Amino acid sequence: MSVNEKSSKSATTVNLGIEIAGVRFANPIFVASGTFGYGSEAARFCDISGIGAIVTKSVSWNPRPGNFPRRIVETPSGMLNSIGLANVGVDAFVTEKLPYLAEFDTKIIANIAASSVGEYCSVLEKIEANATGNLVGYEINVSCPNVKDGGLSFGTNVGMVEEVVRALRPLTKKLLAIKLTPNVTSVAPFAQACEDCGADAISLINTVVGMSVDIRTKRPRLSTVTGGLSGPAIRPIAIAKVYEARKATKLPIIGIGGIATASDAMEFFIVGASAVQIGTMNFVHPDASIRVRDELTQLLTSQGCSSMKDVIGTLEVSGEMRSLGW
Amino acid sequence: MLAPLVAKRTLTHDLFVLRLAAPTIASSVQPGQFVNILPRTGAIDPLLRRPFSVYQTGEGWIEVIIQIHGKGTEELSKALVGDSLDVIGPLGSPWKYNSGSFSTAILLVGGVGVASMPSLTQACESSNIPFETYYGARNERLFADEYLKRVHYATDDGSKGYRGSVIDLLRSDLRSVAYAHPKLFVCGPTPMMRAATTLAAEFDIPCEVSLETEMACGVGICQGCPVQTTAAELEKTGKKFHLVCTHGPSFEREQIVF
Ligand SMILES: Cc1cc2nc3c(=O)[nH]c(=O)nc-3n(C[C@H](O)[C@H](O)[C@H](O)COP(=O)(O)OP(=O)(O)OC[C@H]3O[C@@H](n4cnc5c(N)ncnc54)[C@H](O)[C@@H]3O)c2cc1C
Ligand SMILES: Cc1cc2nc3c(=O)[nH]c(=O)nc-3n(C[C@H](O)[C@H](O)[C@H](O)COP(=O)(O)O)c2cc1C
Ligand code: FES
Repeated sequence: MSVNEKSSKSATTVNLGIEIAGVRFANPIFVASGTFGYGSEAARFCDISGIGAIVTKSVSWNPRPGNFPRRIVETPSGMLNSIGLANVGVDAFVTEKLPYLAEFDTKIIANIAASSVGEYCSVLEKIEANATGNLVGYEINVSCPNVKDGGLSFGTNVGMVEEVVRALRPLTKKLLAIKLTPNVTSVAPFAQACEDCGADAISLINTVVGMSVDIRTKRPRLSTVTGGLSGPAIRPIAIAKVYEARKATKLPIIGIGGIATASDAMEFFIVGASAVQIGTMNFVHPDASIRVRDELTQLLTSQGCSSMKDVIGTLEVSGEMRSLGW
Repeated sequence: MLAPLVAKRTLTHDLFVLRLAAPTIASSVQPGQFVNILPRTGAIDPLLRRPFSVYQTGEGWIEVIIQIHGKGTEELSKALVGDSLDVIGPLGSPWKYNSGSFSTAILLVGGVGVASMPSLTQACESSNIPFETYYGARNERLFADEYLKRVHYATDDGSKGYRGSVIDLLRSDLRSVAYAHPKLFVCGPTPMMRAATTLAAEFDIPCEVSLETEMACGVGICQGCPVQTTAAELEKTGKKFHLVCTHGPSFEREQIVF
């Protein structure tokens, strides 16, 4: 068989489908919370039905106006943001946003943010009671660096994360993923806690705390002084956190951080992520997830792989590397 | 969308024009809208697109004028005829020139704010809206007035037109010339736009200002481009901020605090 015959044969047989906690996704390329809105904004530029799953913008109980400007600063190969969880609130989310998203043939994961355990529960219960057919689960944001109440204080305290997961688990049979922060010395205990308390998956990473200063005015560029760094600049941090979490838990991991191409996504799969989310690159190309999905098919084909099983968790670390503590 | 660069020219010492083949944008863009251009080809730095007003349109093409400001505009200045640029648009809401009660449009311009005025000039002409243009600059070499009409000039050094600020020129004309029910359409440096809103309040006339903020997405997703609303607007809409990329870039002066 010639090379051409081989590649054209495998091109038709690559299967990007994956399963996380019993939920089938047509492909492992999702869009990250806060970087795709509620779908409608990007619909003009992107074939929404081709996305593996849409993780919606964090929704809280009450609508939140967000922080005062300036909210974004571009940095080398990345950006800092301090949006402050601006969102429509859970009522508008269930009456306006979910029905709109239900019209697309894609899976929806509702991301929830809150400043107390009770608020997390109320928001989840409200969504659960109004769930549309394609809502397959929840991603719990315990890690936003840009809000004064809640936010990082949850995500950097193992006991709090345990409390949130324990409280939420009995409220739904749907997929329950916990989105962790990289802003801790070690992510392993958090991943372990999620597993122990009944979560179905973990999402890693949220943004990395960062800061930028205007050297002319000597003032911080963001209104909140520090903000969350995202984009290709943070990818190595994200890979390392996924690697660390992979060793600490058997839970499926959804990798996030600086993915711009299929090879970026492959790094996450090899380290052990079952799916990935595209974040900041949606701002550059609103159809970034479709581009990465198509590139991934080509990449897998060229590597002779027929399914995601052939790549997920295939990292090889030699004995000497391990003995150095890595 | 990839748009081939079909022509490039210098307008003033600090402004250059890119003419891009972009038929879909050219046929649908409205006065005051903008496009988002990726200022690079392969690498990921600079990462984000840059917003630019659509300066002029023609058969299958659009023009943007660009002032070099930092990394992204510097990169764009290196684009060569024959290169293709990645452009998204048209974005934003148009100038509200065909609604509300006014009879004379006054186009008030400063600096690179001139970019959104040719399309408004043409819209006024084709809608038979009487208009006057007030254009201020430090000196006459900075005027980019090729597509403007009925222009009243003001320069800081007196090298062309009125010596002094364009706001002072307009104030004195509003006192002495009988413009029927004027409305100001303003785009220029922030201090000029602030002064324009004060002037509009002084004469109790409507005024719309076109704002610039940093943008990541340009399409209403990232929530990165807010402008604070006034108490009245908050009361009316329940919104503490409007997004410049979708609700704007232009706003009626009563809507926003800036
Ligand atoms: C609706 C709109 C229309 C515009 N039209 C024009 C035009 O027609 N001609 C023109 O020359 N300029 C225009 N600008 C300003 C232009 O977008 C900025 O000068 C440009 O983004 C600066 O990029 P930079 O990489 O050179 O500067 P840098 O300082 O390196 O930019 C860093 C970051 O800040 C953002 N940024 C910095 N200054 C501005 C600004 N004033 N406005 C928006 N974003 C900014 C950039 O997008 C980038 O993300 C417009 C801005 C907006 C919002
Ligand atoms: C502007 C912006 C807004 C975001 N909003 C949210 C949010 O509401 N909830 C959340 O869990 N993560 C939010 N994130 C984090 C992203 O979902 C993602 O975890 C992070 O940006 C890293 O991925 P990236 O490098 O691909 O962007 C936001 C990120 C950005 C840049
Ligand atoms: S630039 Fe993203 S919302 Fe306006």
